[in-house]
Amino acid sequence: MIKACKKVLVGFGLIGIFIIVFGTASDVFAQASHLFRTYKHEVPPKLSETPDAVAEGKKIYEKRCWYCHGIEGKGDGPAAKTMFPKPRNFTRNEYKVRSTAFSSVPTDEDLFRIITSGIEGTAMPFWYTISEKERWQVLYYIKTFNDQFRKNDAIKTVSVGSVASTPESVARGQELFKEMRCFECHGEDGRGNGPLTVALQSEWNLPYRARDLTKGWLFKGGNTIEDIYRTISTGFNETPMGSYLEKLADEDRWHVAHYVKSIAKDMVSDVVIKAKLAEDDQLPIDASDANWDKATPVEIPLAGQIIATPRLWTPSIDAISVRAMYNKDEIVFLLEWDDATNKQEEVFRDGVSVQFPTKIPESLKKPYFAMGDSSGAVNLWSWKAYWHEGFGAIIEAQETESGEVSELNAKSFKNVTTQPPESQNVSGKGIYQNGRWKVVLKRSLKTDDVKGDIQFETGKLIPVALAAWDGSNSDTGAQKSVSAWYYVLLEKPVPRTIFAYVLVAIIMGASVELWFIARLRRFPPKLEENE
Amino acid sequence: MAKKRSAFLMIWVILAVICLFMFLKYASPKVFQILMAKSHPMPTPSTLMMWYMIMGVLAGLVYATTSNQKFADFLSFLLPSRGPIIKSLLQKILFVSFPVIVGWFVYSWSIPGAASPVELRIQHPTLPQEFEKLENPFRQKDADTQRKSIEEGKILFQTYCRPCHGSKADGNGPFANSFRLRPINFQDPGTIATVVDNYLFWRIKEGAPGLPSESTPWDSAMPSWKDDLKDDEIWMIIMGEYDTAGVMPRQTEKLE
Repeated sequence: MIKACKKVLVGFGLIGIFIIVFGTASDVFAQASHLFRTYKHEVPPKLSETPDAVAEGKKIYEKRCWYCHGIEGKGDGPAAKTMFPKPRNFTRNEYKVRSTAFSSVPTDEDLFRIITSGIEGTAMPFWYTISEKERWQVLYYIKTFNDQFRKNDAIKTVSVGSVASTPESVARGQELFKEMRCFECHGEDGRGNGPLTVALQSEWNLPYRARDLTKGWLFKGGNTIEDIYRTISTGFNETPMGSYLEKLADEDRWHVAHYVKSIAKDMVSDVVIKAKLAEDDQLPIDASDANWDKATPVEIPLAGQIIATPRLWTPSIDAISVRAMYNKDEIVFLLEWDDATNKQEEVFRDGVSVQFPTKIPESLKKPYFAMGDSSGAVNLWSWKAYWHEGFGAIIEAQETESGEVSELNAKSFKNVTTQPPESQNVSGKGIYQNGRWKVVLKRSLKTDDVKGDIQFETGKLIPVALAAWDGSNSDTGAQKSVSAWYYVLLEKPVPRTIFAYVLVAIIMGASVELWFIARLRRFPPKLEENE
Repeated sequence: MAKKRSAFLMIWVILAVICLFMFLKYASPKVFQILMAKSHPMPTPSTLMMWYMIMGVLAGLVYATTSNQKFADFLSFLLPSRGPIIKSLLQKILFVSFPVIVGWFVYSWSIPGAASPVELRIQHPTLPQEFEKLENPFRQKDADTQRKSIEEGKILFQTYCRPCHGSKADGNGPFANSFRLRPINFQDPGTIATVVDNYLFWRIKEGAPGLPSESTPWDSAMPSWKDDLKDDEIWMIIMGEYDTAGVMPRQTEKLE
């Protein structure tokens, strides 16, 4: 009897293994992991500031730092030309992230923290890879560039306590955001599109871009509530972001910080954009349609196009949020990205493009993600903001004008063709609202142009890549922000039959179990007798 | 020899398998984060997880069948309950959960969905012949010229390569997060330290578009620099790149 049981049990074991194999294989969902840096607060005990330490610091500076910050600390290193924002000029008191009062120099601890953590969204890397001693030494050398460090004997720091966030506090913060006219730079929705910032940028071309407060991962000097409170209290030296230490009571600064924290979001990215099947066959064609809420947005990070000349080293668009929906005939995409201005010029115009391979790849090999290659063409859906005035004039794209949509094919940056009018199948429009472009693009799932157009199929992973242009950043042609290949999946609805399968499986599982137990109980293992 | 009898052997085996799963899924990412001093957890790869789980189940079965005695104990759990109340309770849970688990697995396989495809990376395509014979003109020069070429190369590296590969050549440039295939970390001893200068010369010159068709990845964002940089500048970048990363190139073997 035991032998028979063993056989049955081995069978069960095999079934179990089978279940594990498929069970684990089915949840292989690789998530794009964006390891944004965090502002590290803890500082070890200080090293004494001796001439030797400064001399050692000079060596470190001239090995690691001068390429960006310049040999004399003026922020004019040879690599600075491919950077925005530009590196700090250490001869001036431009220090942003400080715990000290406005226009005073930072404490040694502040400098240590920023060297350790780096600044997300800029070229400043984190330097916790060098020893603590080296970090102290190099910051003592950096201090020699600016005399103010020697004059400030007793630097006053702004104390940072902690106040818990409540809905009332957030609401009060929102009121104060208006009262204190924060929106003049940061914009009404906090997207850095306030009228002042926009005016400063275009008329004096000053490199001040108010922070997009919705992008929590790009806050300079960290995005914890204490960090935000500190920034509101101390301000950023030599920028329009002043200190609110005197202007607002301690409690009020906490309210504003809580409000800012409440609108700051994390980046939610994924490799697969899931196109939702529209339940009632009605596809949203307006960006403001409430039906878009049913589709999950995926945020796709962008970088400057630096693969082919002309390159864009200083992109201003860093992410696009994508949603997709489809019905039995058509598919529609909603693309949203933050842009401080909707200013257009004939050459430099805001735009976006969605790129697909011309056909769904059979193997893992796809066309080259940057405009395809000679062996793999890509299909591009391009949208450009509306333009109608004479050459050189700067105008604002009107909300009522939908922009131009065109369909193109490319086999490389140099080999781009616009499809003839009869095979232009994409339609769409864009609107600009509160610092955000929202563009809708629609096409039928299948077209007659089988060679040049992507033909959509449900349940297949279809590569997709994005590009965006910011007219006010002088983006044009290949000078654009780009993404790598992601995937769009036309989700199949959950079929009703699935519940029948599950029911059958449960019944089968139960009967096998009952049979086994019944058999076991009828012929229980009689071991004692054998022994 | 009196053997210790366990009426709950089956439960212990099941518990051990569940513990193994919990460890692999939740504890080991933390453990490896601490062991390898990373700033993020290190999730167990799903294929590895699958193999460990197979081994875990097999080990459980092997243990339960090491002796007839053990096996009888193992099965005896399913016999009509005569033991304490906890036994009959566990028995009921076991009887109910088996068909439920089977049903759940069937459900989770058949709901439509797709995993993002596994993308392989061949790190070292073979160096094309035309690059094999080249020599870095700065490697053999006097110390002073070498130092100058390194410094000149570091400036070029910081200007053109830094946005992706980072100021420290650690693959953490400001653009790095935006490419799904992350730029290579040159400080990693498995990267440029294992190749010769010529290999870098080829990759910088031709970039991703110049990769042979059989080499994945096709997603590499490595630019082709042949139209923008002179050969000497590329050799200097290589000198500066090794210095920034703090590693040395592999030396070509000399035949005596």
